[in-house]
Amino acid sequence: MKRVLVVDDSLSVGRQLEKIISDSGDFISVGHAKNGAEAIKMNHTENPDIICMDMNMPGMDGLTALRSLVVLDKEVKVVMVTSLGGVGDKFTEALKLGAKNVISKPFETDNVLQILREL
Amino acid sequence: MAVKFFGQFLVEKNLVSREALLKAIDLQDQKNLKMGEMAISMGYVSQDDIERAHNAQMSKDMKLGDLLVEMGILTLNQLNDVITRQKNTHLYIGEALVLVGALSSEKLQLSLDEFKADQALYVSDRIELPDGIANSLIWEMTADLTYKMITRVLDLQFRPGKCQIITTVDSNFMMAAMDLSEDVEARYIISVSEAVQKTIAKAILREDSVEGEPVEVLEDTVMEFVNVVCGNIAAKASQTGKTININPPVTIHPPTTGLPVPDGHTGLCFPIHVGEDNKMELILFVKN
Repeated sequence: MKRVLVVDDSLSVGRQLEKIISDSGDFISVGHAKNGAEAIKMNHTENPDIICMDMNMPGMDGLTALRSLVVLDKEVKVVMVTSLGGVGDKFTEALKLGAKNVISKPFETDNVLQILREL
Repeated sequence: MAVKFFGQFLVEKNLVSREALLKAIDLQDQKNLKMGEMAISMGYVSQDDIERAHNAQMSKDMKLGDLLVEMGILTLNQLNDVITRQKNTHLYIGEALVLVGALSSEKLQLSLDEFKADQALYVSDRIELPDGIANSLIWEMTADLTYKMITRVLDLQFRPGKCQIITTVDSNFMMAAMDLSEDVEARYIISVSEAVQKTIAKAILREDSVEGEPVEVLEDTVMEFVNVVCGNIAAKASQTGKTININPPVTIHPPTTGLPVPDGHTGLCFPIHVGEDNKMELILFVKN
């Protein structure tokens, strides 16, 4: 099973995503980081295959963390999760920085799993 | 289920690859001239003029075109010509994808039809605002999108009330707020009773019961609802050429006397009737 790290400052979104991931049978959640800096640390300690990361977080935001993660770890696949996915510039910036895809909020379980399975 | 732009929709549906989309966006960047570049290509201004205007922009919060007119470099008619040329020659993302070979013209048309059907849920209905509110179309769209998200995300039956100008927001169990900035400046607030907060928590957490959930989790769900709505407002606004930045949401526990509208702002209240003994309101503090 692929290991997934969830990164979101919101407790409720973290829980929501971890539930979707754990219930899928295809993925296992390896934890929930609350900001970009924690994500970089947990990527090192938990060695996930996939990171689902919010774009807009206090402290180190998702795009800043993405810049570091793609340099530090060539293997990990990062998917951004954001309510701003429909803003073309934000979506494009995430892809240009190395995100494999962007999941827009509000998300549907099937859509999240489809995107993760295609990685 | 969210407001999307066409390129994102195509990638999500696996109709084009991430790489092809980036290639098409690069092509758009090359072909779609910025205002200054277009004015130069039309022979109206020189590179030196643009640099002078860019320097002046450091001390003046004006768009480049308006500033070029104010500095007497461009006439208003010339500015309109430039804007019209930009619109007429704009390469859309679908066209760019055809040019880079990622989509056929037939597939583009089919995909556009599918995209329009997907986004039809978010086409704005008219909402009446009091007269004299700046950027009223944005706030009408904001209220409309909030109602649509209450239906789609919270699955809550409600009846929207008439928008009113207020000077104080009535107290309630809690509020979650998010500041909007850039082309418009406002604070977006959702005010909820305890029962409505639980309804939101059940929907966001996808749980049948939220009894025993910590207070911070319950409050976080209301903030997340606000985050989702405001992100989609920013996406919808970007389709009309307006940039809206959002900041992380915050919670407010209003005093029993209510929350005064800050100086220099207009307070708009959109009552959301969700049943007896339950109170929900959308509040906007719009900067004058």
